[in-house]
Amino acid sequence: MKLGRYIATKTVWYAVALIAAVGLNFLLPRLVPGNPVDVIVSNLARGGSVTSEQQKQIYDSFVAEFGLDQPLWQQFFTYVGKVFSGDLGTSFAYYPASVNGLIGDALPWSIAVQLPAILIGWVLGNLVGAIAAFRGGNWDRSVFTSSLFLSSMPYYCLSILLLYGLAVVAGVFPVGGAYSLGSTPELSVSFLLDALDYYWLPFLSLVIVFIGGQAVGMRSMAIYELGGDYVNYARAMGIGDNKITTYIFRNAMLPQITGLALSIGTLVGGALITELVFSYPGVGTLLFNAIAANDYPVIQAITLIITVAVLLANFCVEIVYGIVDPRIRAAKSGEK
Amino acid sequence: MTTTPAPQSGAETGVLARVSDVRCVYGGGEQDFTAVDGVSFELNEGEILGLAGESGCGKTTLGNALAMIAVPPLYVLSGRLGIDGREIDLATLNAADVKAHRPYRGTTVSMLPQGAMNAISPTLRIRSLVLDVMRAHDKNVAKDEALDLARDRLKMLEMPVRVLDSYAHQLSGGMKQRVITVISTLLNPRLLIADEPTSALDVSSQRMLVEMLLAMVEQRIMSGVVFVTHDLPVLSQISDKLAIMNRGAIVEMGPTAQLVEDPQHPYTEKLLGSVLDPTAETRRKGKEWLTGGSGLVRSATETAASGTSPSDTPKGATS
Repeated sequence: MKLGRYIATKTVWYAVALIAAVGLNFLLPRLVPGNPVDVIVSNLARGGSVTSEQQKQIYDSFVAEFGLDQPLWQQFFTYVGKVFSGDLGTSFAYYPASVNGLIGDALPWSIAVQLPAILIGWVLGNLVGAIAAFRGGNWDRSVFTSSLFLSSMPYYCLSILLLYGLAVVAGVFPVGGAYSLGSTPELSVSFLLDALDYYWLPFLSLVIVFIGGQAVGMRSMAIYELGGDYVNYARAMGIGDNKITTYIFRNAMLPQITGLALSIGTLVGGALITELVFSYPGVGTLLFNAIAANDYPVIQAITLIITVAVLLANFCVEIVYGIVDPRIRAAKSGEK
Repeated sequence: MTTTPAPQSGAETGVLARVSDVRCVYGGGEQDFTAVDGVSFELNEGEILGLAGESGCGKTTLGNALAMIAVPPLYVLSGRLGIDGREIDLATLNAADVKAHRPYRGTTVSMLPQGAMNAISPTLRIRSLVLDVMRAHDKNVAKDEALDLARDRLKMLEMPVRVLDSYAHQLSGGMKQRVITVISTLLNPRLLIADEPTSALDVSSQRMLVEMLLAMVEQRIMSGVVFVTHDLPVLSQISDKLAIMNRGAIVEMGPTAQLVEDPQHPYTEKLLGSVLDPTAETRRKGKEWLTGGSGLVRSATETAASGTSPSDTPKGATS
């Protein structure tokens, strides 16, 4: 079956890409001059609160945990074994907290704020862009100008404007954080309602920019498709505008699907700037703190998760492309 | 109102379609370019009218206006099409009530487009387009009924039925053009506007398509054809009447044989004289002309100065 062959070919290529990515993710931190464990232990010693005996214990436990005394190839297999068993290691900065635990705490916040923003922004942006292209005139001009303005605005800029306008001046929303001081994250209605108050500002700052970007892209694609011979022919055969719109939408959607999948793929990396501006405890904030503290296991784990998510997203894009566009399916499965 | 009953344009008079005073411009502002300038003609039942002229003379624009397709920057300023007992006002094509023409598209007048290679959405199977065309005019038509009609038509024209499951990219150029011809005539249109359907095809595909169109007219799948092309040899073989267009106007019209044998207008004469004739004498003359007798290819200035293009005819002489 053509689709089956297409999916099989793609799976093989993405498996190869994953192996290469895992290899690089393992190798790159080890190519950095110096031993990260030495740096951490010397930082602890500089604080003066750790005895030399404790220093040695910490050093030995790190070396044993990462197998730094073993040859590189053995370290690689240990690393791969741990990764595939779901063990991402121990944090240097929050020792002895596990990286799994840290990411597990941060990831839901990032997903909760970004996934709805991406999905709602994608749907609304594409609708607005398509309508602007079809209606033309003043509607198109005003939508295009405002969408271009919004999509060109840096996230931090809109975040700060929203923070100043809606939190500092108007006082409608809290200034920062993800929930009130003193409360503990739990699955209860009162906590969710409290978190919702803190949710709007980061959500708005992401969704507004996303709507703008999607609208600009969709408008351009739809205008291009509107001039297609197949549109004129469908009109000449008496096919209604609504049906023709579905033809145009389907053909104009392909680049937009890529944008959606890549956005979903990279969301696990957190919305770094937005999370920092609003002190939101997501993966972006965790990554930022880990970089500041040379917390290699955390950096490495987040990088790996981002890599896998982006590969997965691209894989999904390729499959959806194959389903939506028969030409791509035919070309990639070797069909004439 | 865009249409009014016009019984005088009925079959009882033998006239299929009356086209009167079609004027089209590109631009819609002060810098308008007039593409069709007051064209009128009549087409009888069962006739094929060949519409010829050099590129840019307004053939395709006239075809679009007759097929009721006017997408800006094309504006139809005036024109009426009397067909099937109706008088369709073409000047309302660009107006807000453009939907009023929809029921007549594909049924009363259908279009076989110039860009047939790209006339099918690349993500659409042929059978989906067939269904959409049928359902655009009869919402309740059953899927099987619509596809059976398409299958019958394909079989009748000796084409493989499996093309219905194909996408456009899976068909050759000739096959794509014939499939589009089948779809364009699926609803048995009274008048088919065939806009350069053979220009992108090789000679064998051209022949197949032309034979197919002739068979369709013979079997009264459609009642008449306006065949737009710059390919005079093709037109001289298939058309009953020939209309020569230059600068937006019909400069001469008449029975094909008569017009080819004895053209009255100087532009028609020049246009017919431009047709390549691959005889030994023509080849010798062509070689002399290209080399200018000195073995060198003539310059563009010389070529332009020689006035061999039909478009050198002054407008005053053509209208």
